Amino acid sequence: MATSRRDLLPGTLDMLVLKTLSVQSMHGYAIARHIERVSNDVLSIEEGSLYPALQRMRQKGWVKAEWRQTPNNQRARYYTITAAGRKQLGAEETGFADLLGAIGRVMGTA
Amino acid sequence: MADTPDATGIRPGIRRLFELAIRRRDRTERNVTEEVALHIELRAGQLRRQGMAPDDALREARRRFGSLEPGRSSIHHDAYRRDRAMRLREWLHSLMQDLRYALRGLRREPMFAGFAIVTLALGIGANAAMYGIVDRLLLRGPEHVREPGRVVRIVTTVARPGIGDVTFGSAGYVLYDNLRTAARAFDGLAAYLVDDVTLGSGRGARTVRGGAATADFFPLLGVRPERGRFFTPDEDVPSRPSHVVVLGEALWRAQFAADPGIVGREVDIRNERYTVVGVAPRGFTGVDLGRVDLWVPMSTYSQAVTSNWPRAWNSQWLNVVGRLKPGVSLDAASEDATRTHRVTYDGPPKPMAEARMTAVPVRFTGRGVESNEVAVSRWLLGVTVVVLLIACSNVANLLLARAIRRRAEVGVRLALGAGRARLARLFLTESLVLAFLGGLASLAVAGIISVLVRQSLLTNVEWTSSPVSGRVLGLSLIVATAAGLLIGLAPAVHAARSSLRNAMQRGSTPARRLGLDTWPMVLQAGLTATLLIGAGLFTQSLRRAEAAPLGIEADRVIVADVEWSSVGDASADARATERARRVAVWQRAAERVRDLPGVTHAALAVGSPFGNSFGQPVFVTGWDSLPKLPGGGPYIAAVSPEYFATVGTRLRRGRVFQSGEGDGTEPLAIVNETMARTLWPGREAIGECLRIGAEAAPCARIVGIVEDARRYELREDPSMQYYIPIGQERDFGGTVLVARSGPDATGATVPAIARAIEDTDASVTRAVAQPMRASIDPLLRPWRLGATIFGLGGVLALVVAALGLYSVMSYTVAQRTHEVGVRLALGATPGDIVGLIMRKSLTMALLGMAGGILVALYAGRFVRGLLFDTSPRDPAVLATTAIVLVLAAVAATLRPAMRARRVDPMRALKTD
Repeated sequence: MATSRRDLLPGTLDMLVLKTLSVQSMHGYAIARHIERVSNDVLSIEEGSLYPALQRMRQKGWVKAEWRQTPNNQRARYYTITAAGRKQLGAEETGFADLLGAIGRVMGTA
Repeated sequence: MADTPDATGIRPGIRRLFELAIRRRDRTERNVTEEVALHIELRAGQLRRQGMAPDDALREARRRFGSLEPGRSSIHHDAYRRDRAMRLREWLHSLMQDLRYALRGLRREPMFAGFAIVTLALGIGANAAMYGIVDRLLLRGPEHVREPGRVVRIVTTVARPGIGDVTFGSAGYVLYDNLRTAARAFDGLAAYLVDDVTLGSGRGARTVRGGAATADFFPLLGVRPERGRFFTPDEDVPSRPSHVVVLGEALWRAQFAADPGIVGREVDIRNERYTVVGVAPRGFTGVDLGRVDLWVPMSTYSQAVTSNWPRAWNSQWLNVVGRLKPGVSLDAASEDATRTHRVTYDGPPKPMAEARMTAVPVRFTGRGVESNEVAVSRWLLGVTVVVLLIACSNVANLLLARAIRRRAEVGVRLALGAGRARLARLFLTESLVLAFLGGLASLAVAGIISVLVRQSLLTNVEWTSSPVSGRVLGLSLIVATAAGLLIGLAPAVHAARSSLRNAMQRGSTPARRLGLDTWPMVLQAGLTATLLIGAGLFTQSLRRAEAAPLGIEADRVIVADVEWSSVGDASADARATERARRVAVWQRAAERVRDLPGVTHAALAVGSPFGNSFGQPVFVTGWDSLPKLPGGGPYIAAVSPEYFATVGTRLRRGRVFQSGEGDGTEPLAIVNETMARTLWPGREAIGECLRIGAEAAPCARIVGIVEDARRYELREDPSMQYYIPIGQERDFGGTVLVARSGPDATGATVPAIARAIEDTDASVTRAVAQPMRASIDPLLRPWRLGATIFGLGGVLALVVAALGLYSVMSYTVAQRTHEVGVRLALGATPGDIVGLIMRKSLTMALLGMAGGILVALYAGRFVRGLLFDTSPRDPAVLATTAIVLVLAAVAATLRPAMRARRVDPMRALKTD
């Protein structure tokens, strides 16, 4: 791997997943791949923790899941963000922006 | 296959109907495994596209997925939890749905629902009521008794020559004393008795149930007083008894207005002063079931028995109870008591010296058998269980008929993909809802039946708990659930078995093929017949017992007894004077009573039927010793001239006594027919001699012969009885007045007699009069009880079974409209049709009758001993039952048959 990889800040996985799903429904691997790609492979999510997180969010009603065929005709579980999930995403985004601003101020970049 | 309801938007109820039969946990795991496998596969594909070797790519993909197992198990866990929560929600949801569906269905058919609920309520209510009673009589034992299972009654069995073993519960104080001192199997022994005693003094006095108990009785039972204390051993010493009393709670409330300062007050009992030391707890009745109004020390009561009462073997007036040591069996206790008795016995040689002691549960009577009340409650419970069975089979039949009627609906459900198990559950829910509603309604039924049974059949029991207790409520629920499952079974099985094609078919498949068979109706008819036969046998017995010749006309006889004001200790002379004075008072009283309106005769007697009975040695020339008859005797009574006319004992030959014959005149005697026949067979007894009391006694000349009269029982072996003029009796006493009421005597005659006697002389403090019938009625109880129990059960069963038959026949007619139409079209007359329907109904009734007769014949041997001069195969009873059953069947079938007759063949044929 050419690029250096960073672990996620704790607690941001849910936000990233929800943000990803707000674009469109996708299955677990696509979610992981999307986050890697969009962050230019900088952000790598712990794949083992992605599925528990998805189950958790399903239980909280932020996402729903259904089995569908992938374009390559494989059976995959597709996750879709729910209204409750969007609300949660909004809340987390605000919180995250506040956090980023605060870190920036401390680091003297803002 | 969608794995969550939200994913498809299909409502859970619908999705459940399409559910595959795999276990949910498996499915959840498989989902996760599949998801992870796909992820790794896709990741490996991506790595391969980036130029990695396939093997390396797969390994790298696995590595990057991270620690697979913990993740997976946590996923499984979450998924499982989520699934379980959802399943509960779904289950509740489906339950609500089923309930709503069931209730809607029942509302749509109020007749059906009402009938089913009432039927079940009767069945369950009758059982709950009887359980409440059996619970009290059999299961829980007497109230306030700690560990009643260890409390036993000691009964005595002696061998009587020529008669065999005789078992009795009464004992002398000496037996109790000996056992208490020397027996080892018991934690303690106590003695008690319950008797009528007079409370208060003068005209305001009343008769109450008084208990006398040794001081150890209360600690032995473990009862605690409501107020004050029970008496102590110091107050119950035979040589110096204390006049202390513990009042019953009910008496304290009724007579003393629950006076909180009652302890220390004085009351008159049997014309003596007693100091109240405490109040017993509510409902305390000792070890028996009847009410006890007060308790006094055994030693105060026993003073009146005989002078040597603490050590006397020839008087037996009390009951002995003991508390077994833990782990000691009844047999071991019996053996120990017998051994102890034989070692300590110091009385005359026979038969008591060889007596056997037996420890029996306290609910047994002194005869060592279960009390009447317990036996009755067992029978009642049995009968109510039969009624419940009939009710269940009836409702099950109705439900089944309904299920078949709803075949089309079932078909639609099957076609929509409903599972058979689901359908079965739906029917089961329906039956449980019915049973539950029936169970609720049954509480009212249970309340009514308990009160009725308590007041009419088990009046001798002191009831304190409410008719519908928590335990009864619990039982109702259990029985209702069981009944619901039972009655739901047939329709549920039917639903589960119905095939789609079969169910969707319209038309008139014969009911028989669908399982709506005749057997439930036959079963009901059989059970009903059994109960009716029982009712008939007991009614017959009761009629015969009531009409049994007693040798007296009890219906018109009133017996009166008096209490005299106390004369205290007096010299022998003074006592003789007083006795003579009392005889005179009695004679004046008899005259007064004779003059009362409504009274035709009055007489005096020492010894009277269903009252006191006396025996004295009799010597007759020509007999070394008199022959022993199975009925015992000879028995003696001293009577005034008008006695026989008063009680209605007919004179056979000779004459009765005349006025003026009595004390100081020639000894005379009248014998009964058995005595005349036994002692002077083939010869005239009149003019013969009886020497009464001793061989050297003067000759009592026989002047008349009267018919045999009963002494205590409705059925008695013949016994020798003889009468002497009143005033000639020696060594026995206890006068009563007997009066004969006119045929149109009113209820006021009895108290008027008592008042007339009280007004005769100031020394009469109180007179108690009661019809002789009151002494005989308790003897009729077994048959009256049996007739009532079986009669009620039989009528209940008949009504339920007839309604069931009606509904089944109505249904059958509806089912066979088509067939009836064809028959009519082919030339059958309406009469043929009615015959067709009737035949089916009567076949069921007669099959049931046959079954009932078989059961009755088999069970007959168990009830033979309970019947009075009636064979268990009494043809009149069997015939009557058959007629009643057939009439009920005809009545129940009439309307359906008429409906069948009016079927219009054209329309019946067109509809199909």
